[in-house]
Amino acid sequence: MTIKNYQELNSLEMDTLREIGSIGTGNAATALSGMLGCPVHITLPEVRIMEFNEAIDWIGGPEPVTAGVLVHIGGQINGIMLSVQPLEFINIILERMLSVSIQDYSQLAELERSALVEVGNIMISTFINAMSNLADIKVDLTVPCLTVDMQGAILTVPMAEYGGQSDYLMAIGGNFSCDGHELPCRLILSPDIRSLNFLLRKLGVEDG
Amino acid sequence: MKMTNQGNELITYALGSCCGICLLDPNVRLAAMIHIMLPLNMEAGRTNTMKYADTGIRETLRQMEAKGARKVRITAKVAGGAKMFAVSGSGALGNIGQRNIESVHKVLKAEGIRLIAEDVGGSVARTLSFDPATGKATIKSYGKQDIIL
Repeated sequence: MTIKNYQELNSLEMDTLREIGSIGTGNAATALSGMLGCPVHITLPEVRIMEFNEAIDWIGGPEPVTAGVLVHIGGQINGIMLSVQPLEFINIILERMLSVSIQDYSQLAELERSALVEVGNIMISTFINAMSNLADIKVDLTVPCLTVDMQGAILTVPMAEYGGQSDYLMAIGGNFSCDGHELPCRLILSPDIRSLNFLLRKLGVEDG
Repeated sequence: MKMTNQGNELITYALGSCCGICLLDPNVRLAAMIHIMLPLNMEAGRTNTMKYADTGIRETLRQMEAKGARKVRITAKVAGGAKMFAVSGSGALGNIGQRNIESVHKVLKAEGIRLIAEDVGGSVARTLSFDPATGKATIKSYGKQDIIL
């Protein structure tokens, strides 16, 4: 069954996507744990199909400033992957990696920014690697880039890219916890519809 | 899209590559604010007209005219169209902000609406508020001073 719209996904397909989310975030957590030198746990990954305004509420309103690392996915599937990193998460990383902490995003200098890009990049790449191995597909990733700005605007990027196809955004993602701290970091994968169909077919979910 | 003839402030949050367009007919004190996400409506069903620059602006103008506004008096202020991520080599698709700005300009021109001020492009998100009583648009960005248009 080929879907034309995210809302057409049935429960088997949703479960498959949740499994991708689970394996992807699991691998990303392992990578993060290696970098931080402490165990990192993940919450149950979510697959959310949200209308744009709902997605904004989901990440906590349009205006709070946050850091986002974005990678474009190319090759056999197309999409965008985002790692949204709020201040608490950034501080845990910076304390562990560089022994510094910041009160405000404006204190992020070159070195801190590049640490964040790297953390985002490694989490995204491990997620994508796990997914592409699972589905046996070939995927290319662009060089990651970081931006610090209002989160509503960051979330618009995947939305605008695929907004011509759907009014809905699909996010596969999860939260992390480390050292008893909840790490409010979200990994969001947003494939386009064609790629989503391809991915589901590759994973053997066909006649739903 | 939000419209008011009561003079209440109109606001739209976190415009990234999106554009916010403030339209005002001072004679009838009718103001509208549109938040568009994409330059052109290519949907077959055209269900969500306000998401696109072309259909969004045209539909808003139609609704304003239905409430007594006249195109010759309507003025526009525009903000947004930033490039949020400096992605290299992603081609035409990469710069939706720029395409939004161009489309807004084109549609306003085609409809004969005067564009009196704008703050577009760049790489920062904007929150746009518009006070119909004074016609002032205020733009707030992270780490920058407010801009008043």
